Amino acid sequence: MALVSAAPYLALLGEEDQSLKSFALTSLNDIVDQLWAEIANNISKLEELYEDESFEKRSLAALIISKVYYNLGDFEASVKYSLNAGDEFNIDEHSQYIETIISQCISLYNTLAQKKYGDESVTIDERLVAIFEKMLEKCIKANELKLALGIALESYRIDVVERILVHEIEVSEENALNLINYVLICSNSVVPNTNFRNQVLNLLIKLLLPLTKNQEFFTIIKIIVQLNDSKLAAQLFKELVSKGEDLIAYQSAFDLVGAAPQELLDNVINQLNKDFGDLTSTSKKILTILSGVPTCDLDITFLFKNNNTDIAILNKTKNLLEGRSSIFHSAVTFSNAFMHAGTTDDSFFRNNLEWLGRANNWSKFSATAALGVIHKGNLSQGRNILKPYLPGSSGAPHTKGGSLFALGLIFAGHGREIIEYLKNYIDEHGNSAGANDGDVVLHGAALGAGVAGMASGSESLYEALKVVLYSDSAISGQAAGLAMGLVMLGSGQETAIHDMLTYAQETQHENIIRGLAIGIALLNYSREEKADSIIEELMSQESSILRYGGVFTISLAYAGTANNKAIKKLLHHAVSDPSDDVRRAAVLGLGFLLIRDYTSAPQIVQLLSQSHNPHVRYGTALALGISCAGRAYSPAIDVLEPLTKDPVDFVRQGALIATAMILIQQNEVSYPKVKEFTKRYADTIKNKHEDALAKFGATLAQGIIDAGGRNVTINLENSQTSTLNIKAIVGLTVFVQSWYWFPLAHFLSLSFAPTAVIGITGDLKIPKFELNCHAKPELFQYPPKHEEIKEKQPDKIATAVLSTTVKAKTRAKKKQDLKDETDGKKDVEKMEIDEESKPETEVKVEESKEEKPAEPASSEQAQVRYAKTPYKISNLSRVLPVQSNYLSFIRDDRFVPVRKFRGSSGIVVLEDTKPEEEVELIKTVRQLNTTDAPLPEAFTLSAEDLRELDDDY
Amino acid sequence: MVDTTSIKKEEKIEEQSDSTESVVSEIEQSFSLISKTASSFDNRYISKAFRDLGPLRRKLTKSILITIINKLYPSKINTNKSYLFGVLDVVQDDNAMVIDHQEEDNEDTQPSSILIPEVELYVHLLIQVFLLDQNQLESLNILNSNIIQLMKLYNKRSLDFIQAKIWFYIARTNELLEDLYSIRPELLASLRTATLRHDTETTSSIITLLLRNYLLTHDINQASNLVEKTVFPANASNALAARYYYYLARISAIQLDYSTAHEYVIAAIRKAPQTHLANGFIQSATKLSIIIELLTGDIPELKTFKRNQIGGNFEPYFYVTRAVKLGDLNLFSKVLNEYEALFKKDDNFTLVSRLRQNVIKTGIRIISLSYSKISLKDICIKLHLDSEESTEYIVSKAIRDGVIEATINHQKGFMQSKELLDIYSTKLPQTEFDQRINFCLSLRNDSVKSMRYPSDNDNKADLNGKSLDKDEEFDILKALEDGDLDDFMD
Repeated sequence: MALVSAAPYLALLGEEDQSLKSFALTSLNDIVDQLWAEIANNISKLEELYEDESFEKRSLAALIISKVYYNLGDFEASVKYSLNAGDEFNIDEHSQYIETIISQCISLYNTLAQKKYGDESVTIDERLVAIFEKMLEKCIKANELKLALGIALESYRIDVVERILVHEIEVSEENALNLINYVLICSNSVVPNTNFRNQVLNLLIKLLLPLTKNQEFFTIIKIIVQLNDSKLAAQLFKELVSKGEDLIAYQSAFDLVGAAPQELLDNVINQLNKDFGDLTSTSKKILTILSGVPTCDLDITFLFKNNNTDIAILNKTKNLLEGRSSIFHSAVTFSNAFMHAGTTDDSFFRNNLEWLGRANNWSKFSATAALGVIHKGNLSQGRNILKPYLPGSSGAPHTKGGSLFALGLIFAGHGREIIEYLKNYIDEHGNSAGANDGDVVLHGAALGAGVAGMASGSESLYEALKVVLYSDSAISGQAAGLAMGLVMLGSGQETAIHDMLTYAQETQHENIIRGLAIGIALLNYSREEKADSIIEELMSQESSILRYGGVFTISLAYAGTANNKAIKKLLHHAVSDPSDDVRRAAVLGLGFLLIRDYTSAPQIVQLLSQSHNPHVRYGTALALGISCAGRAYSPAIDVLEPLTKDPVDFVRQGALIATAMILIQQNEVSYPKVKEFTKRYADTIKNKHEDALAKFGATLAQGIIDAGGRNVTINLENSQTSTLNIKAIVGLTVFVQSWYWFPLAHFLSLSFAPTAVIGITGDLKIPKFELNCHAKPELFQYPPKHEEIKEKQPDKIATAVLSTTVKAKTRAKKKQDLKDETDGKKDVEKMEIDEESKPETEVKVEESKEEKPAEPASSEQAQVRYAKTPYKISNLSRVLPVQSNYLSFIRDDRFVPVRKFRGSSGIVVLEDTKPEEEVELIKTVRQLNTTDAPLPEAFTLSAEDLRELDDDY
Repeated sequence: MVDTTSIKKEEKIEEQSDSTESVVSEIEQSFSLISKTASSFDNRYISKAFRDLGPLRRKLTKSILITIINKLYPSKINTNKSYLFGVLDVVQDDNAMVIDHQEEDNEDTQPSSILIPEVELYVHLLIQVFLLDQNQLESLNILNSNIIQLMKLYNKRSLDFIQAKIWFYIARTNELLEDLYSIRPELLASLRTATLRHDTETTSSIITLLLRNYLLTHDINQASNLVEKTVFPANASNALAARYYYYLARISAIQLDYSTAHEYVIAAIRKAPQTHLANGFIQSATKLSIIIELLTGDIPELKTFKRNQIGGNFEPYFYVTRAVKLGDLNLFSKVLNEYEALFKKDDNFTLVSRLRQNVIKTGIRIISLSYSKISLKDICIKLHLDSEESTEYIVSKAIRDGVIEATINHQKGFMQSKELLDIYSTKLPQTEFDQRINFCLSLRNDSVKSMRYPSDNDNKADLNGKSLDKDEEFDILKALEDGDLDDFMD
C-alpha cells in the first residue's frame, strides 16, 4: 500500500541529526513521484538543506527538488536543480523525468549557446555543457551521426561538427561525404546566423579539399557559390587542371556559371588569368566556359531547336485586341516577348509590321526592347540584330532607348562585351538628361546597363549612373536608380545605400524615389540580418514610397529564408500600413520569403486573399505566383481561383498572371486544370465587357504560361546547388514594378530558365545520343497546339492569316516527306527574312504530328511514377524539373556523364568512351552563325541554313 | 416436450444471432468513426462514437465481444487476444457456435484494415464496460493492468479521448473493489505523462479521478495539495469541468472556505449537461449546494427542493433548511437523528453537523431583527440554550462574525441591536453589481471562445464530397453539446 502522506519524512527533515535527515531524503526520493504535491509545500525546507554546504546529501536534496519542480511543471527550475544534483542525476536512467529534463537541458543549452555566439558575455553553466556533451557522445556512440550533427549545428558548436566529420572521414569517406552534404543542407535551412553559416561552409571546404578518394568537386562548387569566394574557386580549378581532370573542371565551370553572380565569375577569371601562366587548351576552355558564353549558346540552341510556340494563340489575341489602345498594344508585345523569350524567333513582329508601326512612344520602346527578350542570350548576334535601332541610326528616340534596353536584356548577367558600350553612351549623354529625347534614350541605356551589369559590382558603371541620377530627370533618373541597385546587387555597400537614400529624400520626383527605393532593396539582396538597420530606417520614413522600398528590402534581404521575424514584419505592414502601395508590396513580399517553403505560402496568405482591400488581394495573388512559380502547387491555385473572378479589375489581372506563373509548362495530363485556365485567359481577352486591366493580365498570362517556346520555367531555386537563383528573383522583383511602369514587365524574362538536358563532350560539342526517361511519356508532353481557328474573324485579318497558314501547311507537308525520321521530334520554326524587312515573310510551320513528341512536362497533380520501361528522349530536349528525377543515361552507352547521380538536367559534361568513332553533332546557334552566315547581316538564320542542317542529319 | 424446447431454443438462437449481427455492425460503425479520427485528427468523430456507447453498452453480450475480438485479431496466437479471452472467461462449448458463425463472417469481411491503436483501445474499453456491467470486478482488474501497459505503448493525440475514458473505468473498478490506494501511483504517473504531451482530455480526467480518490479516503489535504499544484486544462470538456468544480466545492467546504465552495458548486451545476443522464450528478451537486448555502448563512430558495424533474430525495435537506430557517435547535437535532443514515450515504453528514452553529446564529439574527433590545436570558429561552453564560458567548461570537450588528451590555445582561444602515450608502451594492457585470462579461467571452467556425478546409472537403453529410455533422455537434454523459455516477 502506498503511503498516504509524506508528513513523517518531512518532519524528519527538521531534525538535528544528519543521518535522520539523510534517511528522510532517501525515503522522500522514493515517494516523490506520488506525493510531490505535499512535498511541494515544504520545498523551502529542502532548499535550505541543499544550500547547507556542510550537509553531505545535498545533491540528493537537489534531485528531489528537481523532481518536485518537474511535477509542478516548472521545467526551468527543475533543470537548475537537476544540474546541481550531480551524480544523483543519472542520465542513463530510462524514465520520463530524465528524458524530459535532458531534452529541456539541451534546448536550454541551444538557446544559451546561440546567444553566446553573438555575445561573449553570456556564460553557460559547465554542468549544462557536460550534460549536453554527454548526450552528444551517446548519440555518436549509437551512430546517430546525423542527429548529433544537427544538434551541434543548432547549438553553434562548430568544434563538435568538425570532430564528428574528421572522425568519419577517417573511417569511411563515403559516409563522410553524405554527412557533409547533410550539414550543407542543414546549414542552409536551419542556421539563421550568416556568420556561423559561413564558418560552417569554410569548415566543410577545409574538410573536402584534402579528401583523396571520392573528390566531391560539385559539392565544393555549391559551397563556393554560397561563400562567394573567388580565390577558392580559382584554387579548385587549378587543382583540377593539374590533376588532369578536365571534364570535371568543365562541369564545375558550367555549374559555377549557372549559379554564381557575375562579380564572382569576373574575379575568378581574373584570378585564373593571372595564375595560369601559359594558357593550355584546357585552361583556355575553362576560361571560355566561365565567361558564360557557351552556357548562353547552349541554352539558346536548345530553345531555338525546340521552339514549340503556338503562334495561333498570339495571333488570335492580337486580332481581338487590335487597335483599341496602347495598353493592349503593350500587352501583346509583352506576351509575344515572353512566348518567344530566348528562341530568337521574331517572326511575329516581322509578320505584323503594320501593327508594329502603330506603336507610339513608350509602346515603341517596349516593342523594341521585346527584341532583346526574344534574342536573350544570343551573345554572338545580339548586337547585329539590334544595330538598325541603336543610337546612331535614324530611328525615333523611343526606338533607340528600347534598343539599348534590349541590348542589356540580351546580355543579361553576361554583359562584359557591351557594358563598356552602354557605359560610354551614358558617360557621353549623361548630362543631357532632362532634354526630352535624350531622356528616353538614357532611360533605356540605364536599364540596359543595369541588366547587363547585374551583380557585377562595377564601380565605374555605378558612378556613370549616378551622374544620370543627379541630373534629376524623372524619366532617366528612375531607370538610373534602379540600375544602380542592379549593378551593386546584393553588395550591401554602405556608401551606395547612403547616397541613394539621401538623394531619394531630396528629390521631388516620385519616379526617382521609387527607382531608388527598389535600388536600395536590390542592394540588400540576401543580406538577412545585416540589412536590418536600413530596413528600420526605410520603414520609419514618412514617404510611403520609401516604405514601399523598405518592404521590398525586407523581402529581398530575407528572400527564401522564411524568416519568422521578417514574415511577421511584412504581415504587420500588410494590414496596418496607411498606404495601399506599401500594403500590396508587403503581401507580395511574403512570396519572396517563402520561395523555399512554398507549401506554406497558401496557408499564410489565405486570409489575406479575402481582405476587403483590393491591393492586398492583388498582393496575395502575386505572392502565390512568386513563391509557387513553376511548381504547379494546387493549394495555391485553389486560393487563386476565386481571385480570378474578383470584382476588381487589377486583382483579376494579378490572379491571372500568378496562375500562369504557377502553371507554366504544365499539360493536361500532369495538371488537368491547365486547360481551364488557358481557356479563361482566352475568354477574358475575348469578352467585350471585360476591363482593360484584366485583359492586359490575361494576355501576359498567355505569354507566361507558354514562355520561351514552352521550354522554359520560372526557377527560383537552383536545384543543382540548392542556392537561390538571383537572376530570377531580381527579374520578378522588377517585373512587379510594372504596376507603375509597363516597360519593366520585360524583366520577367530574367526569371525564365530553360528546362533541358544538354549533354556536351569535352570539346564543348553537342553529340547526338539518347537518354532513358522512366516515366509515362504523356505526363511530360507539350500541351497540344491551339485548334486552328474556325470561328469568324474580321475579314481582312482572316484572309491574311489564312494565306500564311495555308502556305505553311503545304510547305510543311512537303517538308514532312523529305524529313529524316529520327529528326522528326523537333519542332523548328524557320524563317527567311529579307534584309530591310520587306514583308516577304514565309513561315514554315512544322506541325508536330508524331504520336509522342519527345519532350515532356510534369507536375504534382498527376502522380509521377517510376516506370520500369523507359522511353527514349534525345540529347538537347526538354526535361522538366520533376522529370529530371526519372532520367537516366543508358548503361554502357558511348557517352557517360562525369557527374554520376540521378536527376541530371541542365548542362551535363559527358565522357566519350569511344573517342575514335565518329559522332553526329548538333550545331549551336553560334556555330551556325559563324560558319554559314555572312557576318554583317542583321539576321542570319536563313532557311537555307536550316535546310542544310537537316540534310546533314 | 423435448421438441418444443428445442424449437424454442432455436428461435432464441436465431434471435440472438440477429441482434448479435446488428450490434456487431453497430460496433463496426464506431470503428469506422474512430479510424476517421485517427486519419483526420479531428476528435469530434470520437465524441460521436462515445455518444453511441451508452445505448450500445446495454446491448453488449459476451458472444458479441468474442466476435469482435476475433475480427480484430485474426491470427490464432496473439497475447492481447489471449488475455482478452482470459478475462472474458471464454469456455469452449459456450461459444463454439458463435465462432463458427463468425468464421463465415471473416471470409467475406476480410480483416483488411491494419489494427490501429485507436480501435484496439476502444475494444478494450468495450470489454471494460461489459465486465463492469456484469460486475466481474476481479477479471476487470486483471484487464485493467493489461490496458495500462498497453496505453503506455502509444503516444497519439487521437487516443486522448479513449484514454481518458479508460482511465475513468479503471478508477471506477478500483473504487468498487475498495482498493483506492494501489491505483494512485499509476494515476499520478499518467497524469504527468498526459501533461507533458498536452493531452488535455486525459489530464483533466485524471485530475478529477485523483480528487475523487482522495476524497473517498478523506485525504482532504492531499486533494487540496493536488488542486493547488496542478492546473486544470482550460479547454477541458464541460462534463469534466463540472466534476472538477464539484470536487473543488467539496474540498473548500470541508476546509471551511464556504464562499469559494459556493462559487464552485454553482459552477458545477451550471456546467453539468442538462440531460436526464446527468441527473445523479445534479442531485448530489444540488444537495451540496444547499448545505453550503446554509453554511454561508443563506437560506436556499424553496424551488430548489421542488425541482421534481431531477428527482432524488431532498426531503431531509428540506427539513434541515427549515430548522435552520426557524433557528430551531430542537427541530434540527431531531432531523439530524432521523436522517443520519441518508446524510452519511450522501457523504454530507459532517457538513450537516456543522450547521448546528448556523441554526443558533440564525436564531440570534432573527431575534436581533425582531427586538432592538432583548435580555440574554430571553435569548437563552428562545433558543433552548443551556445557560445564560453560554448565550453570552454565542451572541458575542455572532457579533464578532458580523452575523448581527449589535452590542452586549454585560452589566445589565441584554443585547442592543444597532440601527440598520442604509445599505445603498455603502459600497456593497457597487461590488455586487460589479460582480454580476464581470460574470456576464466572462460568460460572453467564454461563449465567443467556444464558438467553432467552420474552416475553409471543411468547405473544400465538402466540395470534394469527402466530408460527412449534414446529418452526421449535426449528430456530432449534438454529441459535443451533450458531452460525456456516462461519466456521471454520483
